[in-house]
Amino acid sequence: MAVTTDWQKSAYIAAQAADARVNVELETEGMTLNLGPQHPATHGTLRIVVRLDGEQVVWAEPICGYMHRGYEKLCEVRTYPQVTTLINRIDWLGHFANEVPFILAAEQLMGIEAPPRAQWIRTIFFEMARIANVSLFLGDMGIQLGAITPVFYAFRDREYVLNLMEAATGGRFHPNFDRIGGLKEDLPRGWVDECHGVMTRVISFCQEMEDLLMGNEIFQTRTRGIGVIPAAVGLEYGLSGANIRASGVDWDLRRDQDSPLAWKHCDWKVWTHPDGDSYARYWVRLQETREAARIIVQLLDGLPSGPIQAKVPRIIKVPPGEAWCHTENPLGEMGFYLVSKGGRGPFRVKIRSASFNNISIVPWLLRGVYVPDVITILASLYFILGDIDR
Amino acid sequence: MPQVPGLLKGLGVTFKTMLKPAVTVQYPHVKEAPPTRARGVIALKEENCTVCMLCARECPDWCIYIEGYKDKAPPRREGGKPRTVQKLDRFDIDYSLCMYCGICVEVCPFDALYWSPEFEYSEVKIADLLHDKTKLGEWMGTVPEPPALERGAEAKKGAKK
Repeated sequence: MAVTTDWQKSAYIAAQAADARVNVELETEGMTLNLGPQHPATHGTLRIVVRLDGEQVVWAEPICGYMHRGYEKLCEVRTYPQVTTLINRIDWLGHFANEVPFILAAEQLMGIEAPPRAQWIRTIFFEMARIANVSLFLGDMGIQLGAITPVFYAFRDREYVLNLMEAATGGRFHPNFDRIGGLKEDLPRGWVDECHGVMTRVISFCQEMEDLLMGNEIFQTRTRGIGVIPAAVGLEYGLSGANIRASGVDWDLRRDQDSPLAWKHCDWKVWTHPDGDSYARYWVRLQETREAARIIVQLLDGLPSGPIQAKVPRIIKVPPGEAWCHTENPLGEMGFYLVSKGGRGPFRVKIRSASFNNISIVPWLLRGVYVPDVITILASLYFILGDIDR
Repeated sequence: MPQVPGLLKGLGVTFKTMLKPAVTVQYPHVKEAPPTRARGVIALKEENCTVCMLCARECPDWCIYIEGYKDKAPPRREGGKPRTVQKLDRFDIDYSLCMYCGICVEVCPFDALYWSPEFEYSEVKIADLLHDKTKLGEWMGTVPEPPALERGAEAKKGAKK
């Protein structure tokens, strides 16, 4: 075997070590298992090479890039309104939440701020994107463990949220609704009342999931104490979002940074769990969905009236400069570093997406676990392939 | 109080759901109407178009093809000079490339493009997804009135009719 790269070198050493150890004890050979690229647990095309010693994982390496679409380069040849339609597609389940940090970064450079009504509606859609994203996880975690029912419930109730998105923005998955300086349109009549009804449904869905899955003894034995991430290790690998909150780190950008969005006007709580295992990650996300529904209900009640668009020129040119803006997206911290040279489009965009950092812990986390737990750990880390490869 | 086993509690949830009516519909036989703002297909009002090419230039994946020519129109006033107007030769949207972002509808300064919630126009051949101006004009009949705005909204100046 020609050893050329670091990656090949470590794979080779791990294979040698596994073979040597196994041969002495059981006279079996180590085995390399290719998980993916088309494995359903990977939510897309992520390939994970796993070196096995019997039932135990000795070494694992995620290989990403199968779905690389070159967003950072694509953004450089698009104008600002065109960029929004592209970055919708980064994390396709938390669609609207992708647009917000980019628009905020551009607004920061232009020195304009959207009127309060636009900020409140933005926050409502942001949290709705969170519900649409995380509720799928709540069902999908069940299907990775062999329980088929929860995913149908998740799709059923997620549909109501997506219908609301479509009624207001025109797109179910790609709203393209956020504009520099405000929003595209105001809400249609009767939307607020309808949204109240859907939020009641979402809260009852969370209760259903808790009864159906979290109390289940099989679910608990498969997730408790499996895939434990200590807080220090999680921070070293740069985890964010619910993954790090499940390790007991009280860190949430919605609360911790001074954002123009409307979270500061609501009464809500950041949930953390001390355990750091798969169960904790599920629990934290379940609580987050509940909190998101609570935030939306509060925002709907206090929705201010007024314009939804600040004054912006027809052809948007962002003054030269650099801006960094990050928000707490459904999957974790998502940030845009925007460099402008004064043109109609950005000069350079650096996208910090949550999933890429979240899966970087996979080699550390999968070492020593058993094969069936690989799937549950990957499912509980919850990544979206579009968010990893961009 | 003895604790109900989680397995039984979960079965209770499924049993309750079983007794509720189904939320799905059998699609080709029963159809759900999409909301009025749904971005289904783009309709073209040909007489409004002035071949300014703004939509074709702003389209993020350049799927609009426009060709036009100059034509003489009768003067507005009696005895005036005949006007020069731009007429469309060709206006094609390639729906196999379209991302349904709606930028073309938004930038159109003369209200020639509209969204229609119609979505049933799949084709067997990918080339048939290129809709020409007659086909795009036919979609005009399906364009709904824009919905009224929510309480507390400010009416937009010069909103599309």
